[in-house]
Amino acid sequence: MAPALCAICKTERALIKRPKNHAKLCKGCFITIFEDEVHHTITSSQLFYPGEKVAIGASGGKDSTVLASVLKTLNERHNYGLDLILLSIDEGIKGYRDDSLETVKRNAVQYEMPLKVVGYDELYGWTMDQVVETIGKKGNCTYCGVFRRQALDRGAKMLEIKHVVTGHNADDVAETILMNLLRGDLARLSRSTSIVTGDSRSDVKRSKPLKYAYEKEIVLYAHHKKLDYFSTECIYSPEAFRGSARSLIKQLERVRPSAILDIVRSGEDMARLVPGESSSSCGGGCKDKKTAPVARVEDDIGGCGSQNGRTPGGEMAAMETQLRENEASEGLEIDVSKNISQKEDSENKNERAVPIRTGNKNAKPVNRQVLGNCKRCGYMSSQDICQACMLLEGLNKNRPQIQI
Amino acid sequence: MQQPDTPSSGVASGGAAPPAPASLCVKCHLHEATLDSRSQRVCSDCFTKFISAKCIKQVGIIGKDIRNPGTGAASQKKKYLLGLSLGVSSSVLVHLLNENVEYQLAKGRNAPFDLVIVHVDSSGLYPSSSSPGSVQETLEGYRKRYPRFEFRLVPLSAVLDLDTVDWRTLILPSSAVTPPENEQQLHALFFDRLSSPTSRADILRLFTRHLLISSARTESCHALLLGHTTTALAELTLAETAKGRGFSLPWQVNDGPVAVVSHSTAVPTEPITTTTTPTSQSSNATTTTTESQIQVYHPLRDLLRKELVIYATELMGTPSLASDLNIMIPNHPSSATQQAAAAVVSHKDLSIEEVMFRYFAEVEENYPSVVANVARTTGKLVRLLGGDSEPATGSHSSCGMCTMPLDEQGDERWRGELGDEDVEDDMTRSSAGRICYGCERSIRG
Repeated sequence: MAPALCAICKTERALIKRPKNHAKLCKGCFITIFEDEVHHTITSSQLFYPGEKVAIGASGGKDSTVLASVLKTLNERHNYGLDLILLSIDEGIKGYRDDSLETVKRNAVQYEMPLKVVGYDELYGWTMDQVVETIGKKGNCTYCGVFRRQALDRGAKMLEIKHVVTGHNADDVAETILMNLLRGDLARLSRSTSIVTGDSRSDVKRSKPLKYAYEKEIVLYAHHKKLDYFSTECIYSPEAFRGSARSLIKQLERVRPSAILDIVRSGEDMARLVPGESSSSCGGGCKDKKTAPVARVEDDIGGCGSQNGRTPGGEMAAMETQLRENEASEGLEIDVSKNISQKEDSENKNERAVPIRTGNKNAKPVNRQVLGNCKRCGYMSSQDICQACMLLEGLNKNRPQIQI
Repeated sequence: MQQPDTPSSGVASGGAAPPAPASLCVKCHLHEATLDSRSQRVCSDCFTKFISAKCIKQVGIIGKDIRNPGTGAASQKKKYLLGLSLGVSSSVLVHLLNENVEYQLAKGRNAPFDLVIVHVDSSGLYPSSSSPGSVQETLEGYRKRYPRFEFRLVPLSAVLDLDTVDWRTLILPSSAVTPPENEQQLHALFFDRLSSPTSRADILRLFTRHLLISSARTESCHALLLGHTTTALAELTLAETAKGRGFSLPWQVNDGPVAVVSHSTAVPTEPITTTTTPTSQSSNATTTTTESQIQVYHPLRDLLRKELVIYATELMGTPSLASDLNIMIPNHPSSATQQAAAAVVSHKDLSIEEVMFRYFAEVEENYPSVVANVARTTGKLVRLLGGDSEPATGSHSSCGMCTMPLDEQGDERWRGELGDEDVEDDMTRSSAGRICYGCERSIRG
């Protein structure tokens, strides 16, 4: 039987079945089309301007390595005129970052980009190993995620860079959408779908150029380009792996490969249906119709970078308990003559109870929060004191006991 | 609200085997608690009352909704159409409504509503899995048990006669495929045109919905009642999201009016004539669309599927409702496809609906409130086009397949972001029926 030929060039042998649409392609055409699609995302969303200094949030993992490689390629091919820098966060997890930081260092040489490593210890006075020592393994992903978000921004500020790109892919975005539907958190659902986060008040904006790229294609790209990346997952996130949304996404992808993109499409559309959100496709803060909608960066994605937003079982159980308490109190006040308005009342009640994160107790998910800055660190926050500073306060209270 | 005393009260609890430590029901403090209901130990009586109260409360809301807009229609008897899949939820809904009517009659009042029950028979699509006539027999069981109500069997192929589907959307503009006119052609349509189990399940669901809505209109019913539980609405939310139909969720999950669009062509019985020149004709040259609306309700929206399974299998006397009516209690949603409940099924043969069914069966077991919260949250999404109470005006167009509003803004943005230069795009946007992103995915792959 004659080998199948590439569906694009029709000359080379097809070696790759594209995970996204099962098109049979040769290696060269796959790499080209992958890069072209990222280029399209960048230009259609007008992510960059010529001469912009951009930091690539680099973990040494596949996503950020592919992002760095593709951005370098596209920057040269299409004359973006970008000044690219690798920015790495050292959470202080022994045996995890040691190796992955070595990878990032090699990447810096391979891609001829400067590298800046920022440690949790210099930013917060705590390494993740010390955090785990204090609070145990449960829930430490929250700390890591909150700290990392600010760490990238602070690192960027130190370098006087106003734009950080991260390696979040379509699977990550789809997962966050499903997770926020499961959590009943429409405000986060709305925010998490934007390709650009951060607004005029924040010093650093974030974007996700790989937002429409399938994780499997990122792996294929890294493989065929023989990229040097580090593939061990974080040792502190065992519970995150059972993430409900993650496994669901994988099943859906098997059933219908387009499902991941379809979820992203649904999420973007539903973001416009959230009460209080702008009804235009623009997320609110954008003046030019052509630029990408901008959403606020604060707490849009939980958990830790490469496996952000995975719902640990504990979180679901906590929410279940919370919701049941609401239902119990709701049952005490049944007024049958006003069942319609009562229905609305109880909805509001549940709304208030939905946020399950610390430091966010007063938030009404559907309403836009009033944005200010943290009184302690100046990072933008809807609370007086930002999440990171709240968490630090808790940690610092415990420190003396632990040291004894 | 009217809370019917269950006819079987006392019987069900008497029949249950007493467990070792006798604890009293937390609600009535009279009977022994035999069931867990929303983290409370209750007796079967109280559980039964809870189920019917949750349903009848919603039915009461429908009554009020319908009385208000129709001026002076208060005295007019209400008439509903119920879509029966022969599964647990819709069967329990029939049972609960029957109970309610009997309760009212016993009180010396008039029956609160007339009910027409329609089962859309799709067994012809998968003939191997169900013997012919079995649907008729099953329905006969319902007729015997609930003689008060009218049961109808509508073959899926009847959808081909409807003008609420813009049949041009299912026909490749380039090919000379004639619109299907019988069972075989419907079969060919499904298995030749629709590439995956997800697409087939998706279109089957839409066809069924079209038939139910159309039946409700022919019967002059005030509302269409669907048996979706909280669990089913949560599944629907995530399944539709995964099929790219997020935009239409507010119309699908909430109760209230939805648009009904008729695509009447110049020669209604031969829609092919309008597709011969699909690109040159500008829109509406040969087709006129008329729009009206229908009320759709989900009276079981506050109940979990597992609660209805308990209700149908363990309560309601012996034999149980489930065995009396021959209801399949599936491990997966096979009510449409009648597939055998095989434990090991290749993922390729599953539809997105089935994946969601399995997923929520698990979540429902441990986190029922999370399930309920999903449906509630989706209910907060706003209908962006048209009004909540008004029928959609001519200011926007609707999908020729699913009738949901077309999200032109979203489509345009998506094309920009993805750079998908679909070859068929020009066709889609021309006079040949336009369809939404989700339908495009199912029909064109």
